[in-house]
Amino acid sequence: MRVMVGVKRVVDYAVKVRIQPDKAGVELKNVKMSMNPFCENAMEEAVKLKETKAASEVIAVSIGPKAAKDTLRTALAMGADRGVHVMTDDAVRTDQGLEPLAVAGLLKKVVEEQKVDLVLLGKQSIDGDCSQTGPMLAGMLGWPQATFAAKVTVVEAGKQLEVERETDTGTQVLSVPLPAVVTADLRLNEPRYATLPNIMKAKKKTVDVLTAADMGVDLKPRTTVIEVVPPPVRQGGVIVESVDELIDKLKTEAGVLQ
Amino acid sequence: MMLSRLSTKLPLAPYCRRQCLSLLVPDVVDQGLRLRSAGARRRSTTGASDFFNPTEEHQQLREMVRSFVENEVDPQALQYNREEKFNAEAFKRLGELGLLGVTVAPQYGGSGMDASAACIVHEELSAADPALCLSYLAHSMLFVNNLEQNGSDEQRSRFLPSACEGSTIAGMCMSEPGAGTDVLGMTTKAVPSPDGLSFKIDGAKMWITNGTTDGLTTGDVFLVYARTGPGRQDISMFIVEKGMPGFELGQKIEGKCGMRASMTAELVFDGVEVGRESLVGDENGAMLCMMRNLEIERVTLAAMGVGIARRCIEAMNTYGKERKAFGSPINSFGQIQKHIADSYAEYMAGKHYLYAVAANLDLSSTGNGLDADGTKLYCTTMAKNVADRAMQVLGGYGYCDEYQIERLWRDAKLLEIGGGTLEAHHKNMVRDLAKNMVTLP
Repeated sequence: MRVMVGVKRVVDYAVKVRIQPDKAGVELKNVKMSMNPFCENAMEEAVKLKETKAASEVIAVSIGPKAAKDTLRTALAMGADRGVHVMTDDAVRTDQGLEPLAVAGLLKKVVEEQKVDLVLLGKQSIDGDCSQTGPMLAGMLGWPQATFAAKVTVVEAGKQLEVERETDTGTQVLSVPLPAVVTADLRLNEPRYATLPNIMKAKKKTVDVLTAADMGVDLKPRTTVIEVVPPPVRQGGVIVESVDELIDKLKTEAGVLQ
Repeated sequence: MMLSRLSTKLPLAPYCRRQCLSLLVPDVVDQGLRLRSAGARRRSTTGASDFFNPTEEHQQLREMVRSFVENEVDPQALQYNREEKFNAEAFKRLGELGLLGVTVAPQYGGSGMDASAACIVHEELSAADPALCLSYLAHSMLFVNNLEQNGSDEQRSRFLPSACEGSTIAGMCMSEPGAGTDVLGMTTKAVPSPDGLSFKIDGAKMWITNGTTDGLTTGDVFLVYARTGPGRQDISMFIVEKGMPGFELGQKIEGKCGMRASMTAELVFDGVEVGRESLVGDENGAMLCMMRNLEIERVTLAAMGVGIARRCIEAMNTYGKERKAFGSPINSFGQIQKHIADSYAEYMAGKHYLYAVAANLDLSSTGNGLDADGTKLYCTTMAKNVADRAMQVLGGYGYCDEYQIERLWRDAKLLEIGGGTLEAHHKNMVRDLAKNMVTLP
């Protein structure tokens, strides 16, 4: 069973993002970038499938500018066998200029070329937070999908999975015939550290580079970002002494009571 | 030659909780002084190589260690240091991550990296827990790297895989109760048997990091320097293992000023008989082993100083922005500005010196002595001074162990003593300068 994992380079989850002065987006200069946390979950799951011999090969794919190579290296150090780098123009912001439709279209091309049986993605990236790429990819491929996976069990390698997925009201268990698209939630697993020997081994693994613009996929955004603004700063509250004072404030200051 | 060194080990205990003091302390202090610990997730991936990370692999290594440190090392440091216990589980984790054999060839269970990589690991570990880092240094540099560089294939095959994995905890024995910087004044002796097939070791070794881990028995395995001939330089190196008759724990050293989560011991050799296969390198040839390993020891100790300084400066910077006095953040006052700015400049100077020397340090040879001494001389005192300024800037919070600076301040002092005193560095450097240098680079 050949598994493909999408890994996206995003602003590190622990960075407190700032808005660019021109309000065109969040500031990306001199900001620590890391693999999207949900992609780490997807990657971890793929490596586990490899370890249990359910997967024969794990291919990591990243779509982005030159620097996305670093994210691929991390994926290789975590245990992917090889990488595919779909190179985008350095001027295009992958957090808002490259939309899920385009990403799904590019991934579809890679899936078809690599002949994979299972695509593992993060449920969403923490920059755009669209949560659309997985479902769109499944739709384009005509494959089943299981989103927000909390547990993946291989019923028969290359044929059948059982996926427990998180929903608002509890978990749902799906029987998923392969090929399929599965998107990872945070509780799926705990991603491993890339150990030092594996970091060294990753150096010898290959990364194929494709150019996004040459892949016959429409990359044009369907939306336009007009401006990005920070959420309003929350004002400190006051502690009232009594119910009467509360009612008085609701009437006179908040104006929500008559 | 110099060297006195500390050794250490630790038992385990639960993770630290913040206690009473935190109630009194504004959030800013708390945030500023603790490593980011946004949940239990690891992080990955950033930019390419730079001066402090000569290759992409070095960069990835640094990020991996930093992430591990934030999630697993920082949270345990306060408690283990307070209780003077060795955290064996944390140490074992270092093995799982492939850090214990950082400079060892993959065939012996190592990761096959270089001096720069060793510095990166020490810097990052030391930024959170210098004591754990010191145990790491004694194991990975003084034993593991030493045997990798000086041992035979048989010795490497026998001892390095378990040491790289962390199933044995090792150290090195050089200093004695009466001989530190004057290392050739050592009196521990190894006398060959009449048939020449074995040696009998008698003497005592002092300040041995990892000399014990439980306070009751010796550590697992040691490289021991002992006198084997009448000449001042007739020193040989032997492998001595726990449980050999006559090899005993003299005492666990208690009440150290700092490095309290790293165990230090006196080890006693009372007629310990070892076979010739335990001799590392040539008989009377240990001076070469010593010289080879001393350079990486000094450079990694300097890296520990750099890690301590970084953490202290981060704390000063954060606190200086948030803490107000007389209606302004304290970093608007010239006195505080001097502390922070001087510290940063000295830190960057030391860090550049360190990584420049590390990049040129060939682990299998000697010849970087002048700058190995120089980096340690500079970076250790720099760390001590920076920690002192951080304590001054943070005031009461800096003085209490809950907020870490106090611990780093105590830990930093050891670096001026262990692995070569400042005075030893002065002596060596002037000897080398006088001998080899007319014009400087």
